[in-house]
Amino acid sequence: MEFDSPEEKEFPGLYAAEAADSKSKKSKEESDFDEDHEHNKMDLLIGKRKDKKDKGKDRGYAALEGESSPEEELETKSPSKSKKSKTFKFVSSKSKEKREKSRDKEKSVEEPAHKAKDADKDKDKERERHEEKELKKKDKKKDKKDKKSKQLSQQQDEDAEEEDLAMGYPVFGVSVSLATERSRCHDGTDLPMVVRDCIDYLQEQTRNFLIYKVEPLRTELLHLKRLYNHREHNAAMALFTVPLACSLLKLFLRDLPEPMLTTDLMYDFEDVARNRRGKEQRIGLQQLMEQVPKCNRTLVGWVMLHLYAVTDQERYNKLNHESIAVLLSPTLQMSVPLMVALLRHCRTIFADIQLIQYVPPLTASSQLPEDPEDIQMELRKQDSLLTQIHSEMNAGFITKNREEQLWEVQRIITQLKRKLRSFEKKQEKSIEELDVSANQPAPAAPVAVPVGEDTTDASQPTAAPTSEVTITEEHKPGRRASSSSPVTHSIDVSDCIQVHRNEEEEPSSPSPPLYTIDGESGFVLLPESNPHREELLRLQIEYDELVALQNELKARIKTERNEVYRLNRLCEQQLLKHQAAAGSQPPKEAEYERIIEHYKRENALLEHKKQMLGKELKEERRACISLQVELRLQQF
Amino acid sequence: MSKKPTVGPALHKVIMVGSGGVGKSALTLQFMYDEFVEDYEPTKADSYRKKVVLDGEEVQIDILDTAGQEDYAAIRDNYFRSGEGFLCVFSITDDESFQATQEFREQILRVKNDESIPFLLVGNKCDLNDKRKVPLSECQLRAQQWAVPYVETSAKTRENVDKVFFDLMREIRSRKTEDSKATSGRAKDRCKKRRLKCTLL
Repeated sequence: MEFDSPEEKEFPGLYAAEAADSKSKKSKEESDFDEDHEHNKMDLLIGKRKDKKDKGKDRGYAALEGESSPEEELETKSPSKSKKSKTFKFVSSKSKEKREKSRDKEKSVEEPAHKAKDADKDKDKERERHEEKELKKKDKKKDKKDKKSKQLSQQQDEDAEEEDLAMGYPVFGVSVSLATERSRCHDGTDLPMVVRDCIDYLQEQTRNFLIYKVEPLRTELLHLKRLYNHREHNAAMALFTVPLACSLLKLFLRDLPEPMLTTDLMYDFEDVARNRRGKEQRIGLQQLMEQVPKCNRTLVGWVMLHLYAVTDQERYNKLNHESIAVLLSPTLQMSVPLMVALLRHCRTIFADIQLIQYVPPLTASSQLPEDPEDIQMELRKQDSLLTQIHSEMNAGFITKNREEQLWEVQRIITQLKRKLRSFEKKQEKSIEELDVSANQPAPAAPVAVPVGEDTTDASQPTAAPTSEVTITEEHKPGRRASSSSPVTHSIDVSDCIQVHRNEEEEPSSPSPPLYTIDGESGFVLLPESNPHREELLRLQIEYDELVALQNELKARIKTERNEVYRLNRLCEQQLLKHQAAAGSQPPKEAEYERIIEHYKRENALLEHKKQMLGKELKEERRACISLQVELRLQQF
Repeated sequence: MSKKPTVGPALHKVIMVGSGGVGKSALTLQFMYDEFVEDYEPTKADSYRKKVVLDGEEVQIDILDTAGQEDYAAIRDNYFRSGEGFLCVFSITDDESFQATQEFREQILRVKNDESIPFLLVGNKCDLNDKRKVPLSECQLRAQQWAVPYVETSAKTRENVDKVFFDLMREIRSRKTEDSKATSGRAKDRCKKRRLKCTLL
């Protein structure tokens, strides 16, 4: 147990506390962490261990190579190379192996668990799981041994360093906000990763009879804690069992320096729970909950909603509000009545919170998404991850693994951006074709587009709601311009994805109901494409399969271009006249001209190279839309 | 992190540094994808991996393309630390960018703490020789002072693009072999190991 002992030393207090808590249940296991116990177990499972030994060795070798990235080299290592010296290896590289192994294991662990619908079955499953657990433990030990014998002594230093760093920035035992900051969920939920993982796992297990009843082995629990402190989330989650997940969640909550409801508000909460009833109580709790810091509120919400879900399966797990409150109120540092009250009202109080299964950011080995929207969502996650890595490294949390991860995440982001860009280019290409055809009849058309610029910023927001009918018709030209621009835009995709998307949706939303109107103004029936804006993008990707549709659209856009040109000329003529009348058009003529010129230049470039437009993407799109809106307004 | 692809050749980590607009990304993209991008899109940070054959041996190169602007200096350190070799790029048509290489060199040495870290001074845009602002002699002099090779490239014409990356990889590789030899004795400080063969300035 060399592995676990340092942890113990680090947190002697925790240990004692935990022991006291669970004494009633599994006092025997409490003391498991000492060497004797481990040895016993090892003896029991010695056969299995041997099976795993060879495998473990290979992996151990691979993980040691310092110069190449771990992901690429796992199976490359030549044994002779890695057998250089003996070393004690800490979690880092071990966990990598585990992560791999555990993938398979996870399956085997989870599948049975899912199936289990009643207590009896669960017990069997649990036995299985225990076996697996122990197996895993053996693996760990094997790995450890392998590593010991093979690692470079250099590694030892690095690992020790890593250990220190992890201890300097733990996730356990710090405030909720710090823990959240240090181990983010990259999908935007302000919850520490460990809580999210536990709840995600346990939400699938709410019918498991063991839930919140059985204590796991302390050594395993502490190992998980260590993994989380090292940010080895995947490795940790792969080891989850119901008792482990329950206890890990409890351990995290117990380690919080102050109650999740905050020390300041604790008395008020208790007071409300004790002295008020029904609706009054709910409102009281709700009001107090608003005063709790946001990340605490999220945490309380998730925990309570999860526990509520557990009690919802009382039929299977025999836990109702009262009994689970008795079990957990000491951990949550609140009274049983308060906890029951929170459980009773949690669905109203936390109506805004939904327990969504976490989908972590992709890793290098995974398939990157194809759909542009998925790409953008993934980009956001990766960016969040990258930011966290940078901030950790800037805080001094620098390890070899971290650096590897940094490069990898950066690479994924680059790949995603490139994907997005090539997608946009494809899209642009097809538009370019359209433009070519459109420009022939109306060579000045590109100029017309920029004219709108002046009105854009000021009038667009106001104009849109007031003149819905016209907007729809006018959108088309604007959209044309917008679709060509994304190409260059992609540089800062990650930053403005959201904006970008919103803008794209903006025009399409008002248009659907207004299609029929188009006919009267002589516009081609482009609206058909409007409701299918997104689809259109996709269609372009699948260009080959949908050539027919594209041709149809081309024809329509051509006509549209002509119309734009006509309208623009009209606009230029009428602009001065109407400017006074239409209060919503603040732009000055000088500004107009400046912008027009600017855009003329841009459009000249666009004719040769659409990409140059990208940087003006947002402005131009808005400009086009609002210009068209204005023109229509003036006409009517 | 996480799952690793099966076979792994040696991996060399290269970092592109230099002022904004000198063509770091252009060089990288030309090397990676044989494409030349004419428009300027400021880079924040981009990372690429490519399998190449280096003197008959299959290796992987990780290229990190950094931001030229100071705005991203904070995150730059994090990357510099893990870089094994550096291409310090300037534009021969822009003297400022040449002067800036001095700072980049210092920053790298500060982070790596290793005078003989694999490093190439790269004068890009050599296709624009008629607009040259930095005399060749000056470039060579600086390279000599630093005891690093100097190469002129054109991301546009692809001149010497492969050369700079491969030359750098060779340096990294020989450095690694040296290191592993040195490691047999003591393995602690990589920087110190490298210093063993430190070239005199």
